[in-house]
Amino acid sequence: MSGEHAGPAATVAARVRHLEALLEQRGLVDSRELDRALEAFLARASPANGAHVVARAWLDEGFRARLLADANAALPELGLSMGGGLQEQRLKVVENTEGRHNVIVCTLCSCYPIALLGPSPTWYKSQAYRSRVVRDPRAVLREFGFALDPAVQINVWDASAESRYMVLPRRPAGTEDLDERALAARVTRNGLIGVAPV
Amino acid sequence: MTDLFRPGDRVRTSRIDPPHHTRLPRYARGATGTVVEREGSYPLPDRRARQLPAEPEPVYAVRFAARELFGEGDHTVTLDLWESYLCPAATEETK
Amino acid sequence: MGRMNDVGGMQGFPPLDQEVHEPAFHADWEAHVFAINQALIGRGVYNLDEFRDAVERIPPQEYLASSYYELWFRAITMLLAEKGVLTEREMAGD
Repeated sequence: MSGEHAGPAATVAARVRHLEALLEQRGLVDSRELDRALEAFLARASPANGAHVVARAWLDEGFRARLLADANAALPELGLSMGGGLQEQRLKVVENTEGRHNVIVCTLCSCYPIALLGPSPTWYKSQAYRSRVVRDPRAVLREFGFALDPAVQINVWDASAESRYMVLPRRPAGTEDLDERALAARVTRNGLIGVAPV
Repeated sequence: MTDLFRPGDRVRTSRIDPPHHTRLPRYARGATGTVVEREGSYPLPDRRARQLPAEPEPVYAVRFAARELFGEGDHTVTLDLWESYLCPAATEETK
Repeated sequence: MGRMNDVGGMQGFPPLDQEVHEPAFHADWEAHVFAINQALIGRGVYNLDEFRDAVERIPPQEYLASSYYELWFRAITMLLAEKGVLTEREMAGD
């Protein structure tokens, strides 16, 4: 660490490197293990997982019912789980219907189903989103270019405890002939949060 | 140890502004909602954050009308709330 | 005790900044902060509730001026100092 200055004027990057070095000296972290954990995390956690779940639910009525009843028990059917982080989190999948649309937020911090959606976007973590979506969800959807039919009621889910939420969007019209992979390709990360129709 | 509440029960949230970490947001204080389901059973984070002993207690998904929370809006907001944050809506008692 | 994180329903924030194809982390140091936090919680140096509490206890002025992972970094150093794992001086590199 000779020559490394990590006082307040140093960049945050330098201060983080310095902290990591100190923690490694104390035996509290192992830098190589940190890198490995990060790589594994980024490789496993992706919105492709959530899209896969949705596509299967659209095709398989039994899976859809099991998913809505107990998502954690249903995920292993696709080789997925909510583990991989500090502890396995409870997943709740909420279904959009003709009359009801769901949107997810964590107003208090940024809780998010990373395992199924990948790391959260900055806007999801922003005070702007967290403050606004519980109060005027329709306006927030418009910010995303999504003009929801006024007849459809919105339910906002604030993930204030241990559960993580994911939206099961409605299957788009005209997709009757698509296979599971093609259906999954129609599902976007924003649709799984609820700020897009699918 | 049985749950205090069941799906369908009307509950009211605490009005208290605590001098410590909590997972009851300001916007949902002193509000009346309906229990949707039991979400799980976990130790109260208000205590865990201060390293105080905390036994798991029920957490409920509770649904509120936007009008109840903000005085306007036609949507609903559902939060996951620890039992300690709630009391039956029928009583006048506030925790 | 109002905490800066408790923003549900608050008004006046700017329009959402929707970065397209955003990377998981915007800088290497962010990824390291994420991983360090995971490791320290995993080892039981502090728990997740203590971590959230520490983020919330960052003084408002500093809180508002900080990016998301800067808040995390600040909370981690705060907890490490409070728990006597490292001193502020050590972490400042003196």
